[in-house]
Amino acid sequence: MFWHNYKYAFRTLIKSKEMVFWTLAFPFILALLFYMAFARLHDYDTFEPLNVAVVNDESYRKDVAFSEAFKSLSEGDERVFNTQYVEKEKAEELLESGNIEGYVFVEENEAKVKIKENGTMTTVLVLAVEQISQSVDAVNDIAMDEIQRANGAVDIPAIYARVAAKISEAQPNIKDDSRVMNIVAVEFYTLIAMAIMQGAMVSSEMMNRCLPNISNRGKRVAIAPTRKSIVVLSSLLAGYTMLFAAVILLILFIRFVLGIELGDNLGLIMLHSAIGSLAATAMGMWLSVILKTNDAAKNVIILTITMVGCMFAGMFGGQKVFFDEMLPIVNKISPVGMITDGFYSLYYYDDLSRFTVNIVSLLVVAGIFFALSIRGLRRQRYDSI
Amino acid sequence: MKNVIEVKHLTKSYKAHKAVDDLSLEVHEGEILGLLGPNGSGKTTTMNCILSLLKFDNGKITVFGKEMTPSSYDAKAKIGVVFQEVAVFDELTVYGNIDYFCGLYIEDKETRAQYVADAIKLVGLEDCTKQYPKQLSGGLLRRLNIACGIAHKPKLIFLDEPTVAVDPQSRNNILDGIKKLRDDGATIVYTTHYMEEVEILCDRVIILDRGKIIASGTNDELKALAKIEEKVTVEIPELSPKQLSGFEKIKNVSEVEYDNGVLKVVYRRGKNNLGDMIEYLKENRINYDKIFAERPTLNDVFLELTGKELRD
Ligand SMILES: Nc1ncnc2c1ncn2[C@@H]1O[C@H](COP(=O)(O)OP(=O)(O)O)[C@@H](O)[C@H]1O
Ligand SMILES: [Mg+2]
Repeated sequence: MFWHNYKYAFRTLIKSKEMVFWTLAFPFILALLFYMAFARLHDYDTFEPLNVAVVNDESYRKDVAFSEAFKSLSEGDERVFNTQYVEKEKAEELLESGNIEGYVFVEENEAKVKIKENGTMTTVLVLAVEQISQSVDAVNDIAMDEIQRANGAVDIPAIYARVAAKISEAQPNIKDDSRVMNIVAVEFYTLIAMAIMQGAMVSSEMMNRCLPNISNRGKRVAIAPTRKSIVVLSSLLAGYTMLFAAVILLILFIRFVLGIELGDNLGLIMLHSAIGSLAATAMGMWLSVILKTNDAAKNVIILTITMVGCMFAGMFGGQKVFFDEMLPIVNKISPVGMITDGFYSLYYYDDLSRFTVNIVSLLVVAGIFFALSIRGLRRQRYDSI
Repeated sequence: MKNVIEVKHLTKSYKAHKAVDDLSLEVHEGEILGLLGPNGSGKTTTMNCILSLLKFDNGKITVFGKEMTPSSYDAKAKIGVVFQEVAVFDELTVYGNIDYFCGLYIEDKETRAQYVADAIKLVGLEDCTKQYPKQLSGGLLRRLNIACGIAHKPKLIFLDEPTVAVDPQSRNNILDGIKKLRDDGATIVYTTHYMEEVEILCDRVIILDRGKIIASGTNDELKALAKIEEKVTVEIPELSPKQLSGFEKIKNVSEVEYDNGVLKVVYRRGKNNLGDMIEYLKENRINYDKIFAERPTLNDVFLELTGKELRD
């Protein structure tokens, strides 16, 4: 019975246009679109400096470390930015008229970026400012460090040397193909996370079929002489198989067909996807159990959850780091956030501890959703069907 | 006679609305029991309660001699249900659908292949086994729905309005198939609001209205309740008031109606009423075009008992 149901559940899934669209076609199409959007960045030779502006006011000039670093990105043949130094009003005007991608200003000792639209180009600007700010912070730390160590006799040249080294470290990183590719990688990680979460639709569809209060096919299942748990489990396993296969295909497609660098740990990426798919499966199951609506409404809910999660996780030109600061809770509790963060930490850190935290969180999420669903499923007779 | 189903004092409400009200019934082994009632009379709700799909407020339900619960797997293995709404997979062929649902009951592949083939033959879908549900006409789709419900050769079969919106050819095929199932030994509960079907198909009928049983028995027993013997209809182009009142005085006539050149005369009892009427027309030199007699229908029974028509 288990495998009979599995076989047919799987067969109907791969023949279902809707399911194939959301799990396979949609992520593949997005991957291609992303790829085309990033092609300009990907191709180092054709990288052209971005037109940006800087609000050249008192507070900007006061932030010497920042302004110097930014200036160095705006000079020479290898420059990243074509920078205009203007007043705030002028910068606003330039941005409005589309002459610049964005402008940089310093407020309360913090460098900020204003952009009009999210996009690949503005991502470079935001990232650059972020990087410089981080370097500047590091510089300040170095300075404090030196001052304390110096016991009064401050070795200015030594500080200067370390600071200069730090700043020069920051610049090539921005332009460095691999560093720019990192933004790309994050976008693609989010895309993979999205494809995984989209899988909630598959499991919710599988559940709908098993529940007599939702579908007529569920009535047939309910009157069959088989335990509900067996049918539910084998249907979910079929959905999971389909989802995981689709995700693996997507990862292979991104890595080997589009040639996007996803890091060395393809094995761990797949493990993470497998566990993410489990969480998505559990979430879809739970949504199906609690929302006694038809499939269309459920799918809209799943899409919304997924897309909002994706935005917070950094897709659509959104800034993961920005959202992490503004509303840290979202990426902490959203499965899309956990999945993206897991990939992200695999890419950035050799140490697997942050990755492990994400894996465990996803398992906990999956466990909670499964437990809640099973509670809802234990009811055997319905008030109304 | 063995009872396959016993329902005692079943009451089921949806929120404040009582859909089934203190209903008791029995289904005898080997019979086709018709559950007849207008839309909303509680037929489907009763069936779903018997199947343990629905919670109910009160009552006791026994199937195959044991109390029916959601985990009565032994009983469930012997039950087949054709639900009111078509429930098939659009992604599976006719064969695939029947094989899938049959496989929820029959594990052995060879047996199943035989059963699926039998079901296809029973509903006459031999020519469409490779087609998908979307390619089938309404009638053929209904037949597929039936095949999915009965392929595992159940001993007890529920059919919930299986002929709604079906062309006459499919309807005949379906009704023949159901008789065949009964002849092969199955007990059948047949739910419908078409009285004609009940008359030609069912061994026994229960008439429902607003969740209550208002009458039950064989077709003949029920018709006795209509308190009429026969209806004679005569097409008479012209009739004077005097001639009309003459009809009312004929023996055993309880009702006379003349409208649009059609005269309807209801006899309470008596034999050879049609012959007497022809005689009467001749004697009184009344010209007529057509004349025919009808036995009372279940609709007349329903009308008698509830004061309203059974038809939509
Ligand atoms: N799920 C439901 N929720 C609320 N009321 C319902 C539901 N199903 C049926 N009813 C009501 O219960 C009554 C009986 O319905 P039903 O059993 O479907 O009748 P039938 O099958 O004879 O047409 C009707 O008045 C109907 O409106
Ligand atoms: Mg009904």
